[in-house]
Amino acid sequence: MKALVWRVARVGARVGVVLAVLLAWQALSATGALPSQEFPSATGTFAALGRVLQSAELWHAIRDTLAGWALGLLIGASLAILIGTVLGLNRFAYRSAIPVIEFLKTVPIIAILPLAILLFGATLKMKFLLIAFGVFWPMVIQVIYGVRSIDPTVRDTARVLQLRGARRFAVVTMPSAAPFIMTGLRVAAATALVLDIVAELIGGGAGLGLSILFAQNAGPSEVTTMYAYIVVTGLLGVLVTGLFILLERRVLHWHPSQRNLRPQDVG
Amino acid sequence: MWARTRPAARAWPLAPARRGRGAARRLPGPLATAARAVLGLWLMVVLVALWWVLSRDSTSPYFPPLRAIVDRLVDLWIVGSAKAELVPSLEHFAVGYALAGVLGIVTGAVLWRLRWLREATSPMLYFCYVLPSAATLPALITIFGIGDTMKIMVIALAAVWPTLLNTVDGMKGVDPLKLDTASVLHLSQAQTLRWVVLPAALPQIVAGLRSSLQIAIILMVVSELVASTTGIGFFILNAQQSFAIIDMWTGIIVLAFVGTALNVIFVLIERRVLAWYYGARATQEAA
Repeated sequence: MKALVWRVARVGARVGVVLAVLLAWQALSATGALPSQEFPSATGTFAALGRVLQSAELWHAIRDTLAGWALGLLIGASLAILIGTVLGLNRFAYRSAIPVIEFLKTVPIIAILPLAILLFGATLKMKFLLIAFGVFWPMVIQVIYGVRSIDPTVRDTARVLQLRGARRFAVVTMPSAAPFIMTGLRVAAATALVLDIVAELIGGGAGLGLSILFAQNAGPSEVTTMYAYIVVTGLLGVLVTGLFILLERRVLHWHPSQRNLRPQDVG
Repeated sequence: MWARTRPAARAWPLAPARRGRGAARRLPGPLATAARAVLGLWLMVVLVALWWVLSRDSTSPYFPPLRAIVDRLVDLWIVGSAKAELVPSLEHFAVGYALAGVLGIVTGAVLWRLRWLREATSPMLYFCYVLPSAATLPALITIFGIGDTMKIMVIALAAVWPTLLNTVDGMKGVDPLKLDTASVLHLSQAQTLRWVVLPAALPQIVAGLRSSLQIAIILMVVSELVASTTGIGFFILNAQQSFAIIDMWTGIIVLAFVGTALNVIFVLIERRVLAWYYGARATQEAA
């Protein structure tokens, strides 16, 4: 009973804070503390949000953004899992490759955006290749560490049982590496979305980033539309991250890191 | 938890090499060091050599010979004046990142103390954390104009979230036994924070600062790509738009080294600050 009261109070408090922020926003706009030219009122933004939600344009933009995000993530993550596993299983390959990978990981991916624009123009291909390149490096490191983190007892048991080849890969290597891979995937999903938006904003690829830019360029009258698009982008971020947290829990329900989650820790 | 970043995996090239493994085990000290250096560097050398050889007779406008790029890089960045482009970039980065770090840790500590506030604001914070920060760039330009303030705010507002959330998370994870001990010893709140909570949470705070660093570097460049006439980001984009492809390549390479240098500096400081932590962990692993 007490737990229930606590939960209701918490949900109430959370909703309250969101409402309070929106109200404060509205009040600041109404009193003119926020210049309406640059920072529209909450009601204005949500009216614009209602308007764009009905326009086909928004849904096309969402589709274009998600297409680049999904393709890039798929290509980058698959390559990372494949190459990371190979590098993780062989000590010589691991020792040789890790300095190169650590170096390339620290290169700001944004640096190659102008090159990607030059090579592919403002296309879907430009977006997903940039994303694939961007998510590959951090992801491959996760996979390598995951493959190498195998419990010595498990490794020795597998050896005693003479597990080899595909069987060993499926029942020993992958389960050991899974938590690392899932963490890597969750981070990669968020990174991919950021790169996607940047590629649209600067590279001019179709999607939400470009829609935000167009709304900005349309001048003060469209400033509410710009904020509406930003809100939609944020919601997409919530959706994508939430999806991968769920996926992580689902796939790793057996793993200690996902067990014993107290309800108040799930946030 | 969604905000949790793993405390840093030991990072090359500053990590202590593990002793007694592989070929190095049978070699005396200096030779072993040399063997490790060779093993760590040969692939890098081979790849750069391959790039050099394969691009030697390149006529592709997009992939000029590496030799031409290196020549131009020396002319522009070492002898020439292009290195001045780095000054505004690094200034914005330093101020923005420092702001994000201080703001993140202080706000995180406040939220840790005030549980009700933390619980109530968590959906708001989560939204800010997952919102792709680049999307707010046009809005920040509208608000702050296109000067230095805008760039610093872009970096700070994007980079603050991982540090903030990891601070809260790390402080929440402090062993209750330690807090009880502190109260038995009659430590004041400030003393508890300084001597108990902060050290215990530090590994995770540093992990947050590390995520923030990556974001700050990206946003430093992005802010210069959109509305700017100075900075390394502007240099690269401008070179691309005026089809000075070799100049663009030099910019990319310089930016790569700047990114690496910032990361190396971070790891150096981290190893100093967290020396006790790695020491304790190594003892645990050895036991």
